[in-house]
Amino acid sequence: MTNQTKSQFIAVASITSELSAVMVVAKEISLAAANAKAIAFRAGDKAKGFQPITDFINELAKETIELVTNINIYALVLYRLTVNEFQKTTAYNKFEAAAKMAEGAVYAKSMQDPVDQAKLSMQDCQRQFKRDVSQLLGQLEAVMHHARAARVIAANSRIEASQAGEYLQSLQAVAESVDKAAHTIHDNVQRCRIALSIYRNS
Amino acid sequence: MKMTKIYEGSHQWIMFGRDEGKPNNIIDTNQYVVRTPNRCLLLDPGGAELFAPMMAAVLHHAPVDQITDLFASHQDPDVISSLGLWDQALTNAKLHAPAIWEGFLRHYSCESIEYVPIPDNGGTIKLESVELQLIPAHYLHSSGNFHVYDPQAKILMSGDVGAAIEAPDSPIFVDNFAAHVEKMRYWHQRWMPSNQAKRVWIERVRNLDIDILAPQHGRMFKGDDVKRFLDWFDALQVGIAV
Ligand SMILES: [Fe+2]
Ligand SMILES: [Fe+2]
Repeated sequence: MTNQTKSQFIAVASITSELSAVMVVAKEISLAAANAKAIAFRAGDKAKGFQPITDFINELAKETIELVTNINIYALVLYRLTVNEFQKTTAYNKFEAAAKMAEGAVYAKSMQDPVDQAKLSMQDCQRQFKRDVSQLLGQLEAVMHHARAARVIAANSRIEASQAGEYLQSLQAVAESVDKAAHTIHDNVQRCRIALSIYRNS
Repeated sequence: MKMTKIYEGSHQWIMFGRDEGKPNNIIDTNQYVVRTPNRCLLLDPGGAELFAPMMAAVLHHAPVDQITDLFASHQDPDVISSLGLWDQALTNAKLHAPAIWEGFLRHYSCESIEYVPIPDNGGTIKLESVELQLIPAHYLHSSGNFHVYDPQAKILMSGDVGAAIEAPDSPIFVDNFAAHVEKMRYWHQRWMPSNQAKRVWIERVRNLDIDILAPQHGRMFKGDDVKRFLDWFDALQVGIAV
């Protein structure tokens, strides 16, 4: 296996592992939103500005989970593609070796067709991989966007929380956990993007 | 890869082996090819490592599109781990292999090649006018195992039965049976699991008219050495690891 193939396998595998962490965190956000909603309900008028924010957080978490679920399916496709590409590349190299070794054999020329075919399917796989990586990067960008939005909401939540009297501390804790979660998502997804970006369609 | 014609008649048998380019840490294997005017059958085509030299060697005898049939005596990697590569190189071929190994062998990838499952009681492979018999050899050493008998050429391709571990440049035929025995003893005692299976197989094979016994490793047996081998094997206790 060449280093290029190895790092491709690693890049694809790292998406799945980074994303499973993102999934856990997104679920945490969803939980924090439910928690905040209950507190805001108890706080009544004092947390009036906080109530719409909790719905927003919840929605954001749900969307992130959905996105990540889709990306995971995509990552599996990408993994299969990588396996396929590896097999095609191996075949192409072996066919070429066979053709070279067969020089001078009566039927050496008949090897040309399999060599050409193998080369075409190998190149097909490479192209498709690049295409799929570009699309995946787009989806990852959407998750990043959600994470950034979540951080803005967290900042707003802090302001709203400061007006919530005795509920200040618990609402601030909610804002804090959303912020932390958004931060984690941002970092993980960023790592995925860096790992994949070298394979992007240029 | 050395090539030796071992039968020439209406069709040919060619033995391939003693590959000089083979990595030292993989077992040396013999591959056999049956060649008819327009078709070509590879018997135990070998491991993935051997694919390129084997393909190149076959091209001295047949063009790629006339390689129409593969046979795997059993599921071992030294026999058929090249399947995934043949699968991509051949567009219209069949693999004849034990029915019970189908789900296993497909792990090597067998998409364009048609898997023709051999039932436990054996069958035939028809290659133009040549009809080869698939002789059951279960538990010798694999639980689903066949040998190929050609009644016209009087050759029995016997898979791992009759095998020996040899120096890379050793001759292709046994020339001194007594000396050869020592190279076969441990192999048969350790790899062959069942005395009962051995007895049944010997009974079956004694009824065949055999000029050449052609194993997948080591040297072939010719003439009287075939009978000598059967007698020796008959007397050997196998399955010694338990
Ligand atoms: Fe074996
Ligand atoms: Fe073997």
